[in-house]
Amino acid sequence: MNESHDYDCLIIGGGLAGLTCGLACLEAGLSCAVVSSGMSALHFSSGSIDLLGYNADRTLATSPVDALPGFIEKNPDHPYARCGAETIMEAMAFFGRELEAQSAPMYANGRENHFHITAMGTLKPTFLSPASVFTREIRAAFEKRPAIAILDVKGFRDFHPGLAAANLRKNKLFADCPITCGEIELPGQTPAAGGARDMRSVDVARILDATTNLEAVAGAITAAAGRADIVALPAFLGLNRYQEILAGLRRATGRLIYEIPTLPPSILGMRLDQALKSRFAALGGVFIARDTVDAGRIEDNQVISVHTTGQKDDIRAACYVLASGSFFSKGLVSRYDRMFEPVFDCRLDTPPDGRSLSGAAFLSPESHAFIRAGVITDGQLNPQTADGRTIANLFCAGAVLAGYNPVIEGCGGGVAIATGYAAAKAIRARLHPPQPTATAGPQ
Amino acid sequence: MERIETDAIIIGGGATGCGIARDFALRGVDCVLIEKHDFAAGTTGRNHGLLHSGARYAVKDESSARECIAENIILKKIARHCIEDTGGLFVTLPGDDPAYHDLLLAGCRKTGIAARDIGRKEALAREPNLNPEITAAIAVPDATIDPFRLASSNILDAVERGARVRTHCEVTGIILSGTAAAGIRCRDRKSGQRLEVHGRVIVNASGVWGQEICRLAGIELLMFPSKGSMVILDYRINSLVINRCRKPGDGDILVPGDTVSLIGTTSEKIPYESIHDLEVTPDEIQALLRDGEKLVPNLSRTRVLRAFCGVRPLVATGKGATGRDISRGIVLVDHKERDGLDNFITIAGGKLMTYRLMAEQATDLACRKLGVTAKCRTHLLPLPGSERFKVPIRRRANFGESVIESTYYRHGTRAGDILAGPGADESLICECEMVTAREVAYAIRHLQAADIVDLRRRTRIGMGPCQGLLCAYRCAGAFMDVKGVDGSEATRMLIDFLEERWKGIRPVLWGDTLREAEFAYWICEGTFGLGKIVAKGAGKGEGVVIEEEYK
Amino acid sequence: MIDLENTSFDCCIKCTICTAYCPVARATDLYPGPKYSGPDAERLRIKSPLLADHSLSFCNNCKRCETVCPSGVRITDFIYKAKGSRLKKSHRLRDFVLTRTDISGRLSAGFSWLVNPLMKLSVTRFFLSAFLAISRDAVMPAFDRGTFVSGFRNQAKAQEGFPRKVAYFHGCYVNYYDHALGNDVILVLNAMGIGVTAPRQKCCGVPLIAAGNFKAVRKNAAFNIASLGAAVADSDMKIVFSSSSCALTVTQDYPHLLAMDTSAIDDRLELLTRFLHREFAAGNKPAMGSLNLTAAYHSPCHLDRTGGVRHTIAVLQSIPGLRLILLHSECCGIAGTYGFKKEFHAIAQDIGHRLFDQIEQANPDIVITDCETCKWQIEANTRFPVRHPVSVLAEAVKKF
Repeated sequence: MNESHDYDCLIIGGGLAGLTCGLACLEAGLSCAVVSSGMSALHFSSGSIDLLGYNADRTLATSPVDALPGFIEKNPDHPYARCGAETIMEAMAFFGRELEAQSAPMYANGRENHFHITAMGTLKPTFLSPASVFTREIRAAFEKRPAIAILDVKGFRDFHPGLAAANLRKNKLFADCPITCGEIELPGQTPAAGGARDMRSVDVARILDATTNLEAVAGAITAAAGRADIVALPAFLGLNRYQEILAGLRRATGRLIYEIPTLPPSILGMRLDQALKSRFAALGGVFIARDTVDAGRIEDNQVISVHTTGQKDDIRAACYVLASGSFFSKGLVSRYDRMFEPVFDCRLDTPPDGRSLSGAAFLSPESHAFIRAGVITDGQLNPQTADGRTIANLFCAGAVLAGYNPVIEGCGGGVAIATGYAAAKAIRARLHPPQPTATAGPQ
Repeated sequence: MERIETDAIIIGGGATGCGIARDFALRGVDCVLIEKHDFAAGTTGRNHGLLHSGARYAVKDESSARECIAENIILKKIARHCIEDTGGLFVTLPGDDPAYHDLLLAGCRKTGIAARDIGRKEALAREPNLNPEITAAIAVPDATIDPFRLASSNILDAVERGARVRTHCEVTGIILSGTAAAGIRCRDRKSGQRLEVHGRVIVNASGVWGQEICRLAGIELLMFPSKGSMVILDYRINSLVINRCRKPGDGDILVPGDTVSLIGTTSEKIPYESIHDLEVTPDEIQALLRDGEKLVPNLSRTRVLRAFCGVRPLVATGKGATGRDISRGIVLVDHKERDGLDNFITIAGGKLMTYRLMAEQATDLACRKLGVTAKCRTHLLPLPGSERFKVPIRRRANFGESVIESTYYRHGTRAGDILAGPGADESLICECEMVTAREVAYAIRHLQAADIVDLRRRTRIGMGPCQGLLCAYRCAGAFMDVKGVDGSEATRMLIDFLEERWKGIRPVLWGDTLREAEFAYWICEGTFGLGKIVAKGAGKGEGVVIEEEYK
Repeated sequence: MIDLENTSFDCCIKCTICTAYCPVARATDLYPGPKYSGPDAERLRIKSPLLADHSLSFCNNCKRCETVCPSGVRITDFIYKAKGSRLKKSHRLRDFVLTRTDISGRLSAGFSWLVNPLMKLSVTRFFLSAFLAISRDAVMPAFDRGTFVSGFRNQAKAQEGFPRKVAYFHGCYVNYYDHALGNDVILVLNAMGIGVTAPRQKCCGVPLIAAGNFKAVRKNAAFNIASLGAAVADSDMKIVFSSSSCALTVTQDYPHLLAMDTSAIDDRLELLTRFLHREFAAGNKPAMGSLNLTAAYHSPCHLDRTGGVRHTIAVLQSIPGLRLILLHSECCGIAGTYGFKKEFHAIAQDIGHRLFDQIEQANPDIVITDCETCKWQIEANTRFPVRHPVSVLAEAVKKF
């Protein structure tokens, strides 16, 4: 590390893109810090990683691996096009290995997508899921047209099995599956009446984490599930001991226990967040959990330092990554009359005027233009200043990027991981350029 | 086909229609009210909820001013829980004609409105967020009124006294018998079923839509709609009603409405055909915010939750009028006299303020036709919830002060029935506005809330900063639990609610409102996967289609 | 009334993250959580003060909610402002004793020979519990003899000799309970060629804020701002804090919660470990000997809130022979004086046990933390000695 720098790489944003980039930097032997100004959007995610759910023509992408080259060709300004299909798959494999190393493995359906079931009983194509959502075993079970019981916990207001069941029954794939609903009571559950705080999924998860009597939970599930082969529960099977709880319940009930993400914060997302942060810390990364980068000093097309609001630190690094997210995470800021990127004032791709920001219907298949807004980058993921100069040691990753719609393309997680990984790769190449070989000379 | 017999039929569930239903019920007349959407879903619920003192009219329209102050005093007695007696100010800004201040004071004196010149210093002491550059201020007995609560309590009283009501039920025809109206043909918009209501008198209280109802009866009664847009701010940035002391203009009234503030209103004449499909334009929003900021500078830093617009009906009383005989006051038409159609009355014009008076006048006329001699008592008897005593509700851990007081604020003395009554589920459904599962269940059972959008008007679910997301999902569950609707129907309700919410959010999509919208979109797509359900028939909640094959 | 300076509740997206991570809400369902008590209820409290919930009193001011909030909402500011202005004040003697740390400290420190053994007697504890509502089970910290300030007078002359100096905000803890830490601070800074001055100071006021006594805390704040401002006025001296909570209070609560003008000292305030880290990075590192110690580091909530943890870790990492275990820290439960109060003691213990378990599992030689009350809580609930980062540093310096 250069003495004049605090870190080789400073990452602004501790979400999926920032942490993936951080892990890739650390694995490459670079020193790395993440500045995060609060919990990330992973807390509202399904906990599965979408790579490419839909083709450019909006049809379902059966195999994202096969579909990516064609998709990139049709969308030359897509963040995926900045990475290239090869790097994207490299990134997914890397991501899988990192989670594996943290004992939080994710599962894929070979080269193909699988589906996860939503709280409203619809299906979403995705690429990687945790064991409670997709494994070979689950896939085999669903192929047998199983009887499904969707269960809820008494006093839990954030999940209604009836809603999921009604829509699931309409799906022709489930036409032969008897779907029932039921309710269980948890042992040691604090009664809802008398408490000032209502039970959220995180509370149930903690009750389960703390329970010494998993057998009783299993008993309640068995009783409520009737003859179901698969038992779907709101995703709340623990935050720390979730693998043990899932395995224990599957063993004790003799059924496949399946988790459906519920109202925020999403337990599946929180587990992923926890696993990534723990891995980052284990590899020696510095995670600054509550500070906000509010400005960057740029000289000669290079970021010299960034300034934080909390510690009022000027942090210097060799390279910087802008993984600050979209509007929600304040990576992009919108005012009545303009939109901007608040740290470096990078050039944005935004809708021409306020009126075209959104579609007339909230749930329209065309989605909304504001979802696509973001920072414009070149092939190296380098952004430009407002006056059009490329910033050579700043790389952008994740939702701050322009040119993609995570919802209708089904690619949010994939873009975060791929661009985070690609940024780390570019940084590594910049800091440790491959030694020139004898034949390579000035042209 | 269902057939209902009654004495009086009321078309329209706005404040006036609801007031008429109560008035009939209090006089012992059997009545049926038919409403196309929901109570207070039209013009009644689309204003800023200002309980005028009349001061605003004191300079130019004395009779309106007198009407207002008289009704102001009555409503403060009978509708206590719908009204917050905030008081109001008329403030003069630099550049405003200072003479208007004196004109207003003189007008108030003449019309019996208790106005007081309080000066800049006292005004700023009472309303510290006011623009410190104001030059003069007058205190007036303005207050705020919740139109949803008002309509709903009138109906609650009417129903408890025997009136029957049908919401989400559209009038498709008027049944005539010779030269008299004898009933109406309707279609239930939710079930699609037809019904007929036969009665001895029909009161058309459908506001600006009255033109269409009249047309069904073969009568031409022209309405000249004027559109008014308003913007809702995240919290109470002012605690008194603030009026700009000048000739009425766009953003010159800022009203604290329950937990929010509203700035309004624009005024624009629009063609009649466009009343069904109105949108707030960016220009209107800009005008409102620009003017509002002059009254309370902090407004520019406040999150805008939503924008909406309503239609004021101006009625042409003369036959075949093209704008000449337009009335700005209350218009009561006995169509026997005007058009030769007996047993058919139209009540229109007026203001939310004068809804009770309008109801009284229409009911008086209808009763004369029915031969009923009972006198109006709506000005004497408090609405259910507005009785003088306050019910003691014991504070419990799960019902903190904010929950208890919010429930009391919304339902008055009926809050006891909600919070202290039997029923197990005590969880919070809407966390922004502190609406409990019990209040939701009460509204579904007793206040005719037929879907989640209706629930919004009864309880304020979804009226806070998030504009309804988690609460909407929980309410969909509540409809299944309380009313036994099936999952598909509850899904449709949820989608309809989200789309209704979007209409108001879309025009103000910047700042934290955009952040909130993005968050909501993630939840609806990621957690709920709702996009798949509306793939066909977007925004209508129709046709649940799921195309993918499970792998 | 609306505080125009802080309307950040307006930015709350209702994502519920704060409540999910709130240690108090986790321990008791009598507390509805920071989202409800902060941004949700604040809108209602603006409407009417009647809407202030009594459940507000459960908040322990750890500020974990603000640390995790993705929207930058100053959640505890709303909670404490509401407690201060809208809930009925508790005038109990207990709150006086616990919140006026400088007064009770001054009184007790002079009689520490009497007070300390007395506090250990069960009969005293019974009376504390019965009359002061201080939990019988809470282990009360022992007072040092005399005050740090009176001891410092002897060294003041020597400190004058250093060409570079810092102003040290020692706080009540060093002054009444732990003079050794103050002396360690001096030792380390002196080893780096930096002298120490101790401007006159009152309690930063964090216990008063917790009790909602804003009038008293404003007085202290005004005194401190004036005194510290005067001390550094004619120099480029930094004002350093060894206590993370004092630092947070002066840097954040004075300007935001109390709306005090801190512009005279704003750019001087620094947590001591941040100051040291920057000096080390600039090459001014004291000579140290190797320690051969395994230490578990617990980051206090108030340090987490400011994003300053990295500085402490960097300083600790520079100590030769110190093997550092970073704990997955959550609130230790004590939260200043919260855990001493009878009605909250059980909650505090419940909050802390996860941390205590982690420490037991790590089985270090010592535990390190920047916060004095975290130290008390961990010492009372585990078998490990707890040290301040600077004391560990001082030990390494002494070893050289």
